[in-house]
Amino acid sequence: MSRPKVMTRAVIVGHKSILKQTIEALYDTNLFHIEDFVEDESGFKIDKPFENAGDISKKLVKIRSIANYLGTTSNEPVVQKTGTVLRELDSNLDELDRGISEKTESIIKFQNELKDLDSQKKELLPFLSINLDFDYFRGYESIKVFAGTIKGSLEESQISSITKAFELYVDPQSKSIVLFVANADADRVYELIQGLGFRELRIPERGGVPSETLRLIEQKEAEVSRKIESTKAGIDSMKSKYADFLLASDEILSIESEKAELPLKIATSANAFIIDGWTPSEDYDTVVSAVNSATAGKAYISKLEIEEEEEEHVPVEYNNSKVAAPMQQIMDLYSRPKYTEIDPSSVLLLTFPLIYGMILGDIGYALILGVLALAVKKAVKSEAVQPLMDILIYCQISTFIFGIIYGEFMGFSLASLHTAHGTIPGLIPGWETIVLFPGLSGEEVTFPVHRTHMIMTMIGATVTVGLLHLNLGFLLGFSNIARHHGFMHGLLEKGSWIIIEIGVLIAAIGLLGGNSILTYVGAAVFLIAVLMLLKGEGIQGVVELPSLMGNALSYSRIIAVGLSSIYIASTVNDIAFEMIWPDHSQIGFAAIAAIIVFILGHGLNTVLSIIAPGLHALRLQYVEFFGKFYSGGGVIYNPFGFIRKYTEE
Amino acid sequence: MVAGEAVMMSGPILDAAGMKALGAALAITVTGLASAWAEKEIGTAAIGAMAENEGLFGKGLILTVIPETIVIFGLVASLLINSA
Repeated sequence: MSRPKVMTRAVIVGHKSILKQTIEALYDTNLFHIEDFVEDESGFKIDKPFENAGDISKKLVKIRSIANYLGTTSNEPVVQKTGTVLRELDSNLDELDRGISEKTESIIKFQNELKDLDSQKKELLPFLSINLDFDYFRGYESIKVFAGTIKGSLEESQISSITKAFELYVDPQSKSIVLFVANADADRVYELIQGLGFRELRIPERGGVPSETLRLIEQKEAEVSRKIESTKAGIDSMKSKYADFLLASDEILSIESEKAELPLKIATSANAFIIDGWTPSEDYDTVVSAVNSATAGKAYISKLEIEEEEEEHVPVEYNNSKVAAPMQQIMDLYSRPKYTEIDPSSVLLLTFPLIYGMILGDIGYALILGVLALAVKKAVKSEAVQPLMDILIYCQISTFIFGIIYGEFMGFSLASLHTAHGTIPGLIPGWETIVLFPGLSGEEVTFPVHRTHMIMTMIGATVTVGLLHLNLGFLLGFSNIARHHGFMHGLLEKGSWIIIEIGVLIAAIGLLGGNSILTYVGAAVFLIAVLMLLKGEGIQGVVELPSLMGNALSYSRIIAVGLSSIYIASTVNDIAFEMIWPDHSQIGFAAIAAIIVFILGHGLNTVLSIIAPGLHALRLQYVEFFGKFYSGGGVIYNPFGFIRKYTEE
Repeated sequence: MVAGEAVMMSGPILDAAGMKALGAALAITVTGLASAWAEKEIGTAAIGAMAENEGLFGKGLILTVIPETIVIFGLVASLLINSA
């Protein structure tokens, strides 16, 4: 139940001649959250970016477009010296730019060549089996050449009925013909072949025997393809050569550009500047000494009092232990806490895995998912993934514990259970279920808890857990309000809910026990509490009263979602080991099929086991729990600075 | 065959236990459909909002699962019918 880090508002004032040094110093500490200056009547204005800003942006755009084209990523960043990178920046960038445009141009040229060759090849194909030198197709004075395709078939006899002076070549497969006739007969012959659906083909300009030409074209094609490959390989080698340079220079220039554009965010006059912002109070001295040493004490830094109405806008930085820190991810998914309220991350550390484990509660899945989460945590070093895996591991610890309480392993029951319909054997021989005490509606509470056999009791239990969780929320809400508006406000707005519950509880005990005095006392407490609520939250609060029951009943999803997971698992087990492979001593096709079904079924359920319990546990936190105390919407603390990954000074 | 037997016994097709089972089935089916319907509407809107601003994922998720409560209540009701 921690609060966000205590912040200090600081103002740095100085002459413009030390602005650059001040910015450098602030940037290096990475501890100062700068408030954007909004121009007002004070006469101060935002300034222009530093002179080099335009140049930096231009280079940055170039670098990013090249990196985008090459698709540079680096799994193991090589940290480079800023100085070296900057010195080589211009020459490297020129070389890259020239190299890449040269290579892409030649690739485009080669691709066009390929297209050209391809169309030449297509022109050639119909004449391939006729295989007549194309030089013979043209250059006659008294002979007409018909070259093309026909639809039907053309016999020599058909032409010889018109003229004796002809020469016909036919390729029956591609239906192409080449026909030489004397000019005098050309019209009549043309009429004939026109009737057969003749379509003229373009005769390739280049001479030579088609088969020979084809061989040459194919040779050329292979050659051009090889050239494309080698140019692409050249680009790849450029990529591997310059990948680290691109990442490093991108980082350096991003940093420089951020620094160069800071004057756009701060107040300046002709000769002075004011930087207004926030730093965690514990780091205030670090910021002061960094700025002082950079400017030789010429900058004037002072703390400002935080006024009450300002508190809403104070940037919020979490202040959690390393163990609870992963839960901040869950908080940020919802909304950053306000500076004035409790940061419930450390409460979530307890309640989120608890509810997740109560839902899933299976030793087998806990082990599978736990190992999986550990493996991903080892393999993927990304800052976005690590905390999620931590949360998953916390959840699996809780799932394992509840797995023991429930005595479940991959949907199998570990302990044997005696019921009215006979004994259901467990997976571990000799582990007998012990009856502890009677539960709701005739059920018995046992160890291990057989969820499928005591559903009503489990509904009661989960709703009770829900009420405890909700009341924890009311207590946190009480603490939030009491801190800022006094004890009475807290009591009226949040405490009244707890008193309402107490009143209902007393009345219920009175009703069930037949004690009418107790019933009246309970009713009186209830009424008083409702009046308190009316005073605290107004009519809205009273209207919200029934939602308390809805919220508490909502926790019955813990058992509902849990049952669905058990039923999927035990159905998979039934299909595999009762239906497909009932005879466990015979090893054969059925055994293999059963194992495949077992693995696929449980694989599916494992995925569902992250999603369903995770979502429902999350929802119970966000909707039911947070609804009682949390408002969120705080400003995220975003200090001016950068955590370098690829470079160092 | 079951129906045939019931006719042969000339009793009602649905006895008390059958009515109970049907009631329980209705409780879960109708609430399931209701949840699905409500979630469809919210989910569509949530995805639309996320397309504009990815930061709304958390809120969208919460809003989308809110109607899930309907089917949970349906499940509780059907369990209560069954055990009564």
